[in-house]
Order: sequence, then structure tokens, then C-alpha cells
Amino acid sequence: MLKVENIRKEYATVVAVDDVSFEVKPGEIFGLLGPNGAGKTTTIRMILDIIKPDKGIILFDGKLIDDEIRNKIGYLPEERGLYRKNKLINTIVYFATLKGLSQSEARKRAYSLLGRLDLLSYAERKVEELSKGNQQKVQFIISIIHDPQIVILDEPFSGLDPVNQIVLKDLFMELKDNGKAIIFSTHMMEQAEKLSDKICLINKGKVVVDGTLSEVKSKFGQNHIHLEFDGDASFLKDIEVIDNLLLYENYAEFEIKDHQSLEKIIPIILQKLKIKKYEVVEPSLHSIFLQLVGGEKLIQMDSK
Amino acid sequence: MKKALAIARWEFVEKVKTKAFIISLILTPIFMIGAGILPTLLVTKADTEPRIIGVIDQTNELAEIISQKLDEKYRLPDGAPNYIIRKIFMESNEDITAAKKVADQLVADGSIEGYLILPANIYNDTLFEYRSKNVGNIKLTERLNRTVRDIVVEKKLKSQGFDPQLIKRLVSEIEIKLVKISEKGEEESDFKSVFFSAYIFIMAIFILIITTGQLLVRSMVEEKSNRIIEVLMSSSSANDLLVGKILGLSALGFVQIGTWAIIGLALALKFGTIIISLSNALILLPYFILGYLFYAAIFVGMGAPLTTEQEAQQVTGYLVMILFIPLLLAMWIMQNPNSPIVSVLSYIPFLTPTMMAVRIPIQVPSLIEIISTLIVLVLSTITAMWIAAKIFRTAILSYGKRPNLKELWILIKSK
Repeated sequence: MLKVENIRKEYATVVAVDDVSFEVKPGEIFGLLGPNGAGKTTTIRMILDIIKPDKGIILFDGKLIDDEIRNKIGYLPEERGLYRKNKLINTIVYFATLKGLSQSEARKRAYSLLGRLDLLSYAERKVEELSKGNQQKVQFIISIIHDPQIVILDEPFSGLDPVNQIVLKDLFMELKDNGKAIIFSTHMMEQAEKLSDKICLINKGKVVVDGTLSEVKSKFGQNHIHLEFDGDASFLKDIEVIDNLLLYENYAEFEIKDHQSLEKIIPIILQKLKIKKYEVVEPSLHSIFLQLVGGEKLIQMDSK
Repeated sequence: MKKALAIARWEFVEKVKTKAFIISLILTPIFMIGAGILPTLLVTKADTEPRIIGVIDQTNELAEIISQKLDEKYRLPDGAPNYIIRKIFMESNEDITAAKKVADQLVADGSIEGYLILPANIYNDTLFEYRSKNVGNIKLTERLNRTVRDIVVEKKLKSQGFDPQLIKRLVSEIEIKLVKISEKGEEESDFKSVFFSAYIFIMAIFILIITTGQLLVRSMVEEKSNRIIEVLMSSSSANDLLVGKILGLSALGFVQIGTWAIIGLALALKFGTIIISLSNALILLPYFILGYLFYAAIFVGMGAPLTTEQEAQQVTGYLVMILFIPLLLAMWIMQNPNSPIVSVLSYIPFLTPTMMAVRIPIQVPSLIEIISTLIVLVLSTITAMWIAAKIFRTAILSYGKRPNLKELWILIKSK
């Protein structure tokens, strides 16, 4: 459905996207992952033909973008924006007609979607009277009202409360079941892990790892341990065989070099901590992300 | 093109409904009419009640003649005399102090409008007095002055032995009539109407360019700062967006100008003064449209890189100043319509439409000049549109600092 081949975009001082390729098929949820400034938004803008790549090609069912293809794409930009002074219903209808719907059809669908997202009472109100979360739901309506084949969502979950995150997730799954291709970007790995069929992790404009979720995970070792405990676990930092430690107040994730080492460290751990849960698992996307992107990004992400 | 129309529709329909637009649509003509016509209407408004004028007549003969003359010349709409002369009683012909006191009292209580003092030596002296609470009624004082002067002159001539019939002919009133000579022959005209027809055209172009230009810049800045622009750009091409915006907002501008033009025309017909000739209007039309498009392109080119409302106001401010130049030069152009400087200025695309608006009502330029200025204007408009589209495509997505000239040049050169 969508094929991105070797695209590159250079700005005056930086290479924002460097030789990125991937493919998305119908019914697939594709996670475009990476830290802030990795080139996710630039990649998305190139797919949408908002900016042109310097090199490479983007094909939709083998064709270059035109007005007809634009009508089949839905887009939720990272920085949400709506006309503030206009009525909600008019704004939605306008964007829908820009995607080729007729006025009457656009109006009909707008009301039905507003109903689904509990916004019907706001239809005749001005956009600026809505809360931020509700504005975001409106923006989401705009991105799917024309029944697009490809939906591109830039950081769809940021700024949503847990209830609305679930509403959005359900809509995601519904789109997937209807055979739409969904591309979403995020730096929140937990979301990506739960939703994606396929991921592409980029950093500093380059693809670091890509493939289906299980492919990616299997590339990154089996000796991953999750630990829930009571007590002070800071000593884990000093154990030599432990790699890629993620340490929280009552939770830790780490990797060990091999199985023999595991047997050596378990007694130490049992001695110092009260263990509530112990698991040997495949690595979480989160830890893979941190391994690949590096520790300096950890600080940035936590401050966000 | 379908998308451009959808964009145009949105820009037009949503803005035409706003309170700001409706208020300006109604209030502006009211204000213009108020400021332009009301004072004249008030001054020239005919009296409905007779005005009583007192006279202290030291000549003992003029009061009756004045009364008679005023009766002949000035009547109210219902046929009654407009002015009634009332003689103020004098105890002695030499000392009028008491009479003045009486008259002042009459003025104060409103029984007379004011009073004339006609001195005995009025035939040798050149002065007589009119005293009133209100000496600003130019129409009244002018009429009194003229009547008394005519009577005095007539008397003087009579005393020199002139035949009364001859005198009547000699002192008959003379007024100036202005005739403008054009290629089609002579036409009656006067300075005021020439100036006003030029003025009306300039104002029309002016208002259209300013309102639409400002709307264009504002809507671009709004979409940029709200980041709506990304959704728009993902739905339509930059060119469709640009064309749609210009179309929609122009329609808005033309609705505004059109409404005002109809109001103006209705008023003009009612008061019987059509000051713009149709042929002049037809020659001006292409300048009007091209000039408008030229400026729209400039507004887009200059507005797209901006991010804030303040910057937008600054930029529109500069453009407004350029538009004003021909209006400042209007007097001088009227006196020197054939000056080479006027011709040269007419070829500067920024000035062409307004220069022509001033020149055409005064003296229609030669056909060669019209064609060549139009060609220059068409070429500049196409170039401006092309450059504006280039800047728009890139700059509409850029935020932060305004690009300098070098960066703009790179934008223009890029594919």
C-alpha cells in the first residue's frame, strides 16, 4: 500500500532524514519510533507531500501522490491546530470537503462521529470553547472522517487522559479491522509495544532497527529479567554481569550476559531484596529503545 | 481546482458571517456619507420658516428696498418670503445707541435673527454691519451682502444719471462655468468633480487592496500559528490553497466594494450628480483588476513568512504607504498631467493603478501609453504571482525568524 524508498531530507545545518525505507500493508499498524528530533515528523511530512524529499521516492500502490491519493490519506499532526473562532461542525465539514466529500455527506458523518466521541453537544459551539483533550478528539475526527485507506498519526496519544487513550485505542483497532493501514509515530514505547504490528525505530535520521515486533525482540537477546521487589536495589549497578539496567523504586529490568552468571547473582539478590516477582522475558521495546538510542536520551525523555 | 473552490468557499462563507465584516459593511458607508455629505446638506438646506432680520436704517430709505428685493429673490418652498425685514425704531437719526440696545434685546430673546446697521454715509463708506448671535450662517450673510451691495451700486449709478433699464443690464449677475476640453469635444466639468472621480477610484482600489490584503495575511498567520496549515497542505496542493484563498477573500472584498458602489450610485442618482463617466470606468477596470491581483501576490509573498499578528500589521502598513503616493501627488498631477515624471511613475507597477485612477478622469492618456502600461502591469502581476507561490510553498511551513533577502532569493530560485 505504502512504500517508502531511501528518502533523504537535508536542511541547512542537519540531515533530518537519511536513507529511510519501509513498507506498510493494509490492516497493519506501523509504529514509527524514535526520540525527539529523530526525524519522525519530517518523514511523515514527506509521505504527505507537505515537503519534498531531496532523494528517494514514496509510492502509494505503485503511484506517486496526487489529489486522488491525498483524499485517501488521513492525517493527525503532532501540533494540533484548529480554527479557533469557527463552529465545530463547520470546521469538520470544511476539512472533510477538502478531502473530496460532499457537504451533505460530510455533515452526516461529522454528526455521527461527534456522537461516538461524546461531543454532539458541542457541534454548534466555537472550537475555542472546547477543552484541549476534546479539541484533540475533534482533530482525530478530521483525520478519519473521509474513510481514508491510510491514517497517519503523529504522536496521537500525547495530551490524552487514560479514558480517552482507550477510546482512541479502540478506534485504532477498528480501523485495523477494516483493513486500513495505520502509521503512527511516538516516543512512548509502551503504547507502541501494545499496538504495533511492525515498527521502525529511527535515530538522528537513520533507521536503527525495523521489522515485526517479534523479529525486533528476538534480535535482542533472551536473557532479560524483570524484577519487582522491596528494598534498596542500587547494588545492582555494581554487579558486573548485569547490562542495560533500568532501575526504578520497586522495579528493575536488566540483561545478563549468560545463563551461568544468572545462577551466580540470584543468591545475592535474594539476600538483599524481598522479591515479589521475578521473570525471565524478552526485552521490552522500551529497553531496546534505550539500548539503541543511548543513555543520554533517557534524561531527555524523563524530563518530558 | 475543486479543492481551490472548497477553500475559497470556506474563506468567503465563514468571514462574510462574522460580525466584524457585517459591521464594517454597514458602518463604513454611513460614516462616509456622514462625513462627506452631511455638512453640505446642512449648509445648503433650505429654510422652512421665514427669518426675521432687523434693520437700523440711518439712510431712511434702504430698508424698504432691501425688503422688496429679498422678497423678489428668496422664497421659501411654500412660497412665503424667506426673509422679513423689521425696522428698528430710532429716536434720533444720529444717535443709535438706544436703538442698538433695543435690537440686541430682540436678538437675545429670539424675535429677530440679527440686524443690519445701514449708516447714512453708506454710499461713500464701504462698510455696513450685520450683528447676530450667529455670524457663521454663510448663506444668509452672503445673500444680505449681495442684496445690499447691488442696491447701493444701483443707487450710485442712478445718481450719476444712468438709465434704470441700462443699470439692470449692467449689474446683472455673472457666474463662472467650467468646461473641460477632451478629444470627444467639450464637456462641462469642474475641478471638484474631476478630483472626486479620481478620488473615488483610488479609494475603491485602496479599500479593496487593504481589506483583502489584510485578510490574506491574517488568515495565513492564523493558520500558521494554529498549525492548521499542515492539515491543509496534506489535503491540497500549495497552489490550490493559494488560489482558493485569493479567490475567496477577493470575493469578500468585491462584495464589500460592490455594496458600497450600489449605495454610492443610488445616492448619486438621487442627487443627480454622476461624476464618473462610463468610458473612463471601462478603461480603468483592467488597471483595477490587475493592480488588485498584483498587490494580492505581494501580500502573499510578504505575509507567508510571517508568524505573528504584529509583524503582519507592520508589513501591511508599508504597502498602504506606497498606495497613498498618487493621492499625495494628485494635485500636482492635475496641474501637470503631461509631465514626463507622471508618465514614468505610471510604469511602476506599484503605482500604475492609482496613477491611472488619478490621470484618466483628468485627461485620458494616449492609447500607446495605456497599452504599454497594461503590458508592464500584466507581466509584473504574473511574475509577482509566480514568486509569491514559490515563497508561499516553503515559507508557510517555516516558523521563527523572518527570512532575509538572501534566503528569500534561494527560495525563489529553488524548484
